[in-house]
Amino acid sequence: MAEHKTDPNKLPTLGRLLLWVDKPGSANKIFWGLAVFCGILFLLDFTYEKHPHFDMEYVPGFYAIYGFVMFTLLILAAKGLRVLIKRPEDYYGDKAIDREDYPDDQIEKVNHDGL
Amino acid sequence: MMGFDQIPTAFYFFLAALTVPFIAQGILRGLFLLAIPVLCAWNVWQMGFGEFATLPFFGFELELMRVDGLSRVFALIFCLAAFLGNLYAWHVRDTVQQVAALLYAGSAIGACLAGDLITLFFYWEGTAIASVFLIWARRTEGAYNTGVRYLIVQIGSGVVLIAGVALFYRDTGSITFENMTLGSLATWLIFLSFGIKCAFPLLHNWLQDSYPAATVTGTVILSAFTTKLAVYALARGFAGTEILIYIGTIMTLFPIFFAEIENDLRRVLAYSLNNQLGFMVVGVGIGTEMALNGTASHAFAHILYKALLFMSVGAVLFRTGTSKASELGGLYRTMPLTAAFCLVGAASISAFPLFSGFVTKSLVLSEAAEAHYKYVWLALVFASAGVLSHSGIKIPFFAFFAHDSGLRPKEAPRHMLIAMGITAFLCIYIGVFPGTLYAILPYHVEYHPYSMGHVVGQLQLLCFALLAFGVLMRTGIHPPEIRAINLDADWTYRKAAPSVIGLAARGIAVIYTRQMTFWSNRVNGIIGQLYHSHGPEGRTAQDWPTGAMVLSIAALLAATLVVAYLG
Repeated sequence: MAEHKTDPNKLPTLGRLLLWVDKPGSANKIFWGLAVFCGILFLLDFTYEKHPHFDMEYVPGFYAIYGFVMFTLLILAAKGLRVLIKRPEDYYGDKAIDREDYPDDQIEKVNHDGL
Repeated sequence: MMGFDQIPTAFYFFLAALTVPFIAQGILRGLFLLAIPVLCAWNVWQMGFGEFATLPFFGFELELMRVDGLSRVFALIFCLAAFLGNLYAWHVRDTVQQVAALLYAGSAIGACLAGDLITLFFYWEGTAIASVFLIWARRTEGAYNTGVRYLIVQIGSGVVLIAGVALFYRDTGSITFENMTLGSLATWLIFLSFGIKCAFPLLHNWLQDSYPAATVTGTVILSAFTTKLAVYALARGFAGTEILIYIGTIMTLFPIFFAEIENDLRRVLAYSLNNQLGFMVVGVGIGTEMALNGTASHAFAHILYKALLFMSVGAVLFRTGTSKASELGGLYRTMPLTAAFCLVGAASISAFPLFSGFVTKSLVLSEAAEAHYKYVWLALVFASAGVLSHSGIKIPFFAFFAHDSGLRPKEAPRHMLIAMGITAFLCIYIGVFPGTLYAILPYHVEYHPYSMGHVVGQLQLLCFALLAFGVLMRTGIHPPEIRAINLDADWTYRKAAPSVIGLAARGIAVIYTRQMTFWSNRVNGIIGQLYHSHGPEGRTAQDWPTGAMVLSIAALLAATLVVAYLG
């Protein structure tokens, strides 16, 4: 499938609307929007009475902190793991699915504009 | 005495599998493939609870049809999965896959409804044999090799099962399939057999090896049955077995690291499937009524959102020829509906409020907390954030957003969109109206997932994890998608064992050749020396008169005469 210029008007409506996410600055808006939403969620913790199973859940924003920290640790650990276990795609030889193309006769590779 | 009050549901699937080849490919066959699971679901539903079919078998009474709360919910979701899988595969014109899917679904349903261990064994092997054709149907050498590995593991699980069943019968005189206590060799073998199919840690790798190797539609069908059948079998046979809590916890944890760095998105989903099984296994290990409800409901919801995710990645593979994250990106432009359905699946598996995972996984988590398994609970909460990282973010983000790969594939075919649409609808419906699913669970449910604390807590966990993802992406710390594979337990039998055997073979060959050379040199030397002295040119032969031979024969005859005379 060759790369070629896309006419936005030929895209499906939903796809055209979503083009917004790739506009310059949109990524920033999404990120900071999320950050504000997270701030609100954190503050919400002070507005209701908790009925937790464990004492640590009384800590305001326990889930927020735990989620942020553990997610970061997970990614860092996975990065470290990759150093240890990454191998080239032909590691198990050429008779493995990682080295094969999916058989063309079982799929329909078509461009959206038929080109 | 044979007694069929009802025809066992599995038999309808087998009958249909026999009939399929005689129906012309096209709309008629497609409708037939859709009608069978619907009829069977209705059949199970209207039957009520009880035991409906017994069959004498070498002095045993086989129970082919035991419907109760636990087996019914699994049988129903299997029918639903078969329907959705067949709808997704509407375009497939491959009779092998169509027949295999029916036999596979039938075997899985039969196994759930089996009331005794021998029937379970037959269906257990049935799922193995039928399903491998969904891998082989890709018809490449790599898929063939993977299929053989898959089959060896699956059949192996069955062999271990029947060994356990035989010992169990010797110990107890019973073949009824009900809750067992780990202890004897028999129960350990049965447990191990379930564990292989359930992808316990270190026994898991057949899953990540084989699911990405199946056909586009085959993987969707594979993802529903085998492992959830194993979860059912554990729930039936080993509910309340404490070791399962720890096995399940490890299962939720280790795959999230592998999934994070895996490039093939269908393999990412296989790791993620493994992680989701962990939650169900923990539920079985806790073993209370609510925990088993959690396991059953999570299996139900999981089959749907996992199928949805496999469908969306399958649609990408169908249109682009690849499911590797490093080759994809930016597909939302031309495949926006597939992207949207993928996001619904991602939100469901990540357990966002209003999506199915939220109302089912929390049953297991709250039971773990209720039983004061603090560290298990912490691990499960961590694993929930981990699910978000690969299934919630990685799959939709790197396939449909992220950098623009330049690929502009056409939107998925209509039947795939319908299949994904129905599945996505069900994921949301269960999330919004959990009561419908709770009503068909094995035990009465007293649980309200939408409490303030639960909703805010879960949103905090997920949104702050998302925020962490944003930070890691902006700082460039997040690992990029690269073309590579990662080692896992299959290394032991795909690399280590062959190298050890190869090394041993070379060693033995060297010793053998040296020995052979040594001994043949010795023998040749002796022959040479004898020839040298006694051969026609040899020294001892030089002065022999021609008559010497006659003379010696005469002496020999004389000696014979003397011996005969004396005797």
